[in-house]
Amino acid sequence: MASAPSDGPDGLLAAFKIVVAGGFGAGKTTLVGAVSEVRPLRTEETLTSASIGLDDLAGVGDKKTTTVAMDFGRITLSNRLVLYLFGTPGQERFWFMWDELSYGALGAVVLADTRRLDDCFPSVDYFENCQLPFVVAINCFDDAPRYDPEDVRVALDLDSHIPVMLCDARDPGSVKQILITLVEYVLARRPEPSQAEPAAPLAPAAPAPLHDRAGPAAPLEPAEPRGTFGSGLRLIPHEPGGEAVSHDRATWRSTVQ
Amino acid sequence: MPQGDKWLDQNAGPVVRPYALTGGRTAPAAGEVLDLIAIVSATDLGERESDAIDLSPEDRTILSLCRRPVTVTDVAAGTELPLGVVRVLLADLIARGRIAVVPQRRTGDQPSTDLLKEVLHGLRAL
Repeated sequence: MASAPSDGPDGLLAAFKIVVAGGFGAGKTTLVGAVSEVRPLRTEETLTSASIGLDDLAGVGDKKTTTVAMDFGRITLSNRLVLYLFGTPGQERFWFMWDELSYGALGAVVLADTRRLDDCFPSVDYFENCQLPFVVAINCFDDAPRYDPEDVRVALDLDSHIPVMLCDARDPGSVKQILITLVEYVLARRPEPSQAEPAAPLAPAAPAPLHDRAGPAAPLEPAEPRGTFGSGLRLIPHEPGGEAVSHDRATWRSTVQ
Repeated sequence: MPQGDKWLDQNAGPVVRPYALTGGRTAPAAGEVLDLIAIVSATDLGERESDAIDLSPEDRTILSLCRRPVTVTDVAAGTELPLGVVRVLLADLIARGRIAVVPQRRTGDQPSTDLLKEVLHGLRAL
């Protein structure tokens, strides 16, 4: 039950939070649960016919419940540091909670499901707008088609410095690697001339973030090209209907606005 | 639900609706709203008078959770009350001097680079 570890040597402790976002059914609760030392607090409600249409389950198969409040997990890092992971409510009608969750957060993880990649566009937009550092983790569902993270980066119209990585949200080691990548990324973005750690301490470990593959993608972006990506991206093979819709975030934004 | 078993089982939720505990208030009367990861702790007064007559059962639960520094989120989880309710109750207890907000080892919104590195080391050591 572990209340937060009590006073360290200096009698104080610090709590941090990381926001876990992504579309409905992308695996946020699973991810939080994979590393949390407490059973994640979750308030889930069984989907009823009342929420059909609000919570589109196409392609998410047998997911029967949806998180309607918030999940959180806790990781005690030392006797003075505690890290909280907060899952965002997946549905857009809970947007109001995002500001609260993001305020003062260390950073965010956007979980992407390649079967429904467009579900994570709002999350990416949100964190871009509020300038919260984030990484994109592609949850490799067993039955989801695999894509090169770089293709996902293009479809999401992400700047080349944003880490994009594959993960298994069920696997604590995988989730740990996401969190490490995020904190490294946050640190690397700090203007810290005093330190002998410029923007490249991201020693890519074994299941490394693939964001250093910036080479070919980088020249593409003089600020404007949003919207020029996308043509020909066929990331979402929508199941029954068959027509592989080409989704990319730039197109999505133009339809939303 | 399908066959009208009983009106009230645990799925019906608490008999006392959550915001009845706060007198219908959804926001603290005064002071800033507590952050999710603000750390709170019982004061000496709160420790001494943890069963004072003016404390509701929920207040007592909160005070017992706050014998050590805990975050607002943990209090919410420990009491199984909605966050909004816990914030109101905590603010009342703070106003009555029974609970205090514990200052954290960071300045402003941005944690120091050193602190971030501690986080990183902690994560790597998991």
